[in-house]
Amino acid sequence: MTHTTKVEGRSRWQRLLLAGLVAMGLLTAAACTQQPTVTVKKFVIGASAEPASMDVTTSPSAAGPQVMLYNVYETLVRIDGDGKMRPMLAQSWDISADGRVYTFHINPAATFASGTKVTGSAVVKSQDKLRSDAATTTVLRTQLADVATVTAPDDATVVFTLKNPSQNWLYYMTSTAGIVFDPTLIGEAATKSAGSGPYAWTAWNKGSSVVLTKNAKYWGTAPRFDEVTFRYFTDANALNAAMLAGDLDVISNVQAPEALSQFSDTSKYTVLDGATNGEVTMGFNHQSPALQNQNVRKAITMAIDRAALIKTVWAGKGQLIGSMAVPTDPYYVDLANAVPFNVAEAKALLASSGVAMPTLRIRVPALAYATKSAQFVASALNEIGIKTTVDELPFPATWLDQVYKNGDYDITIVAHVEPRDINKFADPTYYWHYNNPAFQALIAKADTEPTEAAWLADMADAQKVLTDDAAAVWLFMLPNLVVTKNTVTGLSPNAVTLSFDLTGVARR
Amino acid sequence: MKRFTLVVGLVLVCSVVLTALVSLVWTPFDPIRVVAADALLKPGWPHLLGTDAFGIDIVSRLMIGAQTTLQVGIIAVSIAAVVGVPLGVLAGQGSGWVSEVVMRASDVVYAFPALLLAILFAAAFGGSTWTAMAAIGIATIPAFARVARAGTLHVMASDYVLAARSCGTSRMGIAVRHVMPNIAPLIGVQASVAFATAILAEAGLSFLGLGTRPPTPTWGRMLRDAQNLLFGDPLQSLWPGLAIALAVLGFNLLGDGLRDYLDPQLREVS
Amino acid sequence: MIRRVGARLGILAASLLAASVLIFVVCSALPGDVASVILGEGATPDQLATLRHQLGTDRPLPVQYLSWASGMLQGDFGRSYLSGDSVASLLGPRLAVTFWLVTFSLILALLVALPTGMYAALRRRHWDGFIATALAQIGMAIPAFWAGLLLVAVFAVGLHWLPANGYVPFAEDPGSWAAHLVLPVLALGLIQGAMLTRYVRSAFIDVLNEDYFRTARAVGWTQGRAMVRHGLRNASLSLVTVLGLQLSSVLVGAIVIESVFALPGLGTMLLQVVTQHDLQVVQGTVMFLVAVVLVVNALVDVSYLIIDPRLRGERE
Repeated sequence: MTHTTKVEGRSRWQRLLLAGLVAMGLLTAAACTQQPTVTVKKFVIGASAEPASMDVTTSPSAAGPQVMLYNVYETLVRIDGDGKMRPMLAQSWDISADGRVYTFHINPAATFASGTKVTGSAVVKSQDKLRSDAATTTVLRTQLADVATVTAPDDATVVFTLKNPSQNWLYYMTSTAGIVFDPTLIGEAATKSAGSGPYAWTAWNKGSSVVLTKNAKYWGTAPRFDEVTFRYFTDANALNAAMLAGDLDVISNVQAPEALSQFSDTSKYTVLDGATNGEVTMGFNHQSPALQNQNVRKAITMAIDRAALIKTVWAGKGQLIGSMAVPTDPYYVDLANAVPFNVAEAKALLASSGVAMPTLRIRVPALAYATKSAQFVASALNEIGIKTTVDELPFPATWLDQVYKNGDYDITIVAHVEPRDINKFADPTYYWHYNNPAFQALIAKADTEPTEAAWLADMADAQKVLTDDAAAVWLFMLPNLVVTKNTVTGLSPNAVTLSFDLTGVARR
Repeated sequence: MKRFTLVVGLVLVCSVVLTALVSLVWTPFDPIRVVAADALLKPGWPHLLGTDAFGIDIVSRLMIGAQTTLQVGIIAVSIAAVVGVPLGVLAGQGSGWVSEVVMRASDVVYAFPALLLAILFAAAFGGSTWTAMAAIGIATIPAFARVARAGTLHVMASDYVLAARSCGTSRMGIAVRHVMPNIAPLIGVQASVAFATAILAEAGLSFLGLGTRPPTPTWGRMLRDAQNLLFGDPLQSLWPGLAIALAVLGFNLLGDGLRDYLDPQLREVS
Repeated sequence: MIRRVGARLGILAASLLAASVLIFVVCSALPGDVASVILGEGATPDQLATLRHQLGTDRPLPVQYLSWASGMLQGDFGRSYLSGDSVASLLGPRLAVTFWLVTFSLILALLVALPTGMYAALRRRHWDGFIATALAQIGMAIPAFWAGLLLVAVFAVGLHWLPANGYVPFAEDPGSWAAHLVLPVLALGLIQGAMLTRYVRSAFIDVLNEDYFRTARAVGWTQGRAMVRHGLRNASLSLVTVLGLQLSSVLVGAIVIESVFALPGLGTMLLQVVTQHDLQVVQGTVMFLVAVVLVVNALVDVSYLIIDPRLRGERE
């Protein structure tokens, strides 16, 4: 023991102790501080998936449009909470008799947040970016592939000419594919807010939140909040806890419905249970020999008590569906009970198929609805004598690679949340490898039908074909479960667009 | 007091082992079969601790969970001991540079905590009991190497080893005849403590969704599934949480008890 | 002594090199193709090949390793494949969160462990000392994330005293910043404190058995005075080592705690980029965490060499 040691030792401990006491004091003081009186009207939304970029055209994720669409960026036409087409930047539009030329009349009042007027040439520039910028996602470019030319004869008019009539194109224009950017900021969309909506985004705290601020010069009905924050939670329980602790005004979509009982106090909370475009689809790999047999697929469908599945997996929320369509789709046909639950018949059908069933590999993304459904399905298939193994794959990377790209699976479960996505079954290269020429012909015919009535009839037939062939098992429609403080009004229960639409939202 | 620690540790560990053994042949209910109508029953009869969201008996799941817990602990600790102990003995017996290389390599591995390693493994090979066990095992190697080296240094300095060396006994012979039997108690203590760490690490991994796959019940997984009900039905997370805590407590106490009970001379080097 | 310090730093460099190779090899074994994640559904093989070429993921692995390692030496940790941001710019804002969480937790752990451990050592033959030891044992047995959940249930959801989770930067609102850190620090610090209590207890029991301590008592010093004058000073040496070693355990605890409390720190980022398969960020983050542990332990060893004259001449 030397003198040096003595001094070093003591002073180090003293300093450490002092630092600790100061820190704890600070923490305690802060814990007791009351929140300062709020003069700005703030609104906080808890959400689960964070955008990958602030330029929503560069990422296929739905998290970007959730914040940006209709709130920061506007489109020529929009879809309202009931799934109806409505004017937005365009006051009205005309369609030529052959269904190929669309003329939009832009609202003369419309301006961007920067003060620039929304003109026909701004639409042309935005479409140029969407259709030809290398950064734009493949999905968007595919949606706009039918467009031949976009021209602006004058400031108040923009004309789209299509290569062929398309029933889907106008619908796509209500979403990301129809966004109109401020032409002065269009090159900087990843770093600057460049829209005409009631809010402008002002901060992105990666891993934590996106902050929107009121656009004081908004051309339409003035926004009701000064500041709107989207907070992101990867953990469903953390999201619920924040709501229960009073930190949030809204949970945009509950990821753990079994937790809803915690929000049953109606004097504090309102729970909205609406429709989405999400079909929770139990997809078969049609390249697996055993699953090529239609009777095997039918037997599997019959073995699953989907009503009980919804009850255990999603707390009874959500709706039974029987094909690749949801009730808010205009062409929806109710096939929910077309193949009813029947264990005895499932066993008989399986036996009559003569297929020696191998152990099936259920490989699902590690997402709550999928892993829980997988556990239910594994137990149900065991009842009719089919052995299974369950893998949970990190989503998106591992699932995309092994199931989606390499087809290394027998059964998988994914919620297909894209709107009107029944045509995915017409693509034999898609990860189910479902190859039914009759269905493919039907879908191709439908899109080019000259009248809406003919289109609706074709699409109804298409749904029946899928159900009859047991092309997949549609477990349930993912419900849009929203929890709000009971002072919040004006939220649409349905999530029929990608947008978390703030325009009608208010707080009493 | 020393005896008390050892006895409580032994009782807790034995109950975990017994539960796991019984669950091999009998559980009150099927631990995997979903019974939708029985979901989320409160504790009572016949479901003593109630049922989970799938209508599965919680007692049955806890019993099967004990198997997984022991499996993870045994395999992870075995990996760590089988690799770590020979390395530690080698480092303790060997010349300066051998010792230096082994210990520095073990420092590098030590900088990869089990969970960090497991996150990487789970991403590479998919989360499973095996990636969890491998990651926990590898990350625990340094702890065994250190203890084995310290014990070996101590034994090598003893008079009887000096005597054996002067008689020309080979290094291998000394390691087998003198070092191993003498450090075995130390390794036993370390194994018990490492077992506790392994249980906690597996629970953490399951909580992050990187552990054992369903439908195999594990305590960590049960805790994760129950956390969404924490504020409405807290009992759901109490049971698996208690099971984890009691098992970890048991192995830690057993380790401490053993250490105090065994040759007090060895205390200095551990 | 300078030679020994130099040797220790040399070993540190070798360790960093070995760790970087290890991390690179494991990360290269990750399945999944970042190009298909970026382009999403419906990408053509041509587009995928072009993007792989742009990202450099089509180069042989040794070439990729060398370009990564040499970049790090120049302070360039690479770029995120997904967002195009530099890894350093991603780590920066998240580093602060993890730093505060880890620092305050270690301080709290010490504040809990020193008095409890000393008390348990002094009174080890009495029932109250036994209770202190038992409490530490129970604390060690509770998973930190479970402790975190229970704290949220009581103080945020039940009493509404503190925010349940999330983070506010210090610069934005210091009071809110501190309020958001209280529960995570309690969860991590108390559990770590329980572990540390065991070390403190056994370090002090060792001191109590030393000759100089018995001498001090024999010449009439009170137990408390002897404890502070001799005990603290001597035990502190082994405690500094333990704190260094404990760092990796705290960092790992932070990963889980950040996830429970939705803190935008290094841990939550790591979990996120692993599922997104953003290799460069995974590599950079893990390398950073491992480097911190290696460097801190090297510093502990070096400070040891400087402080303790007994170690200057002999091997450890």
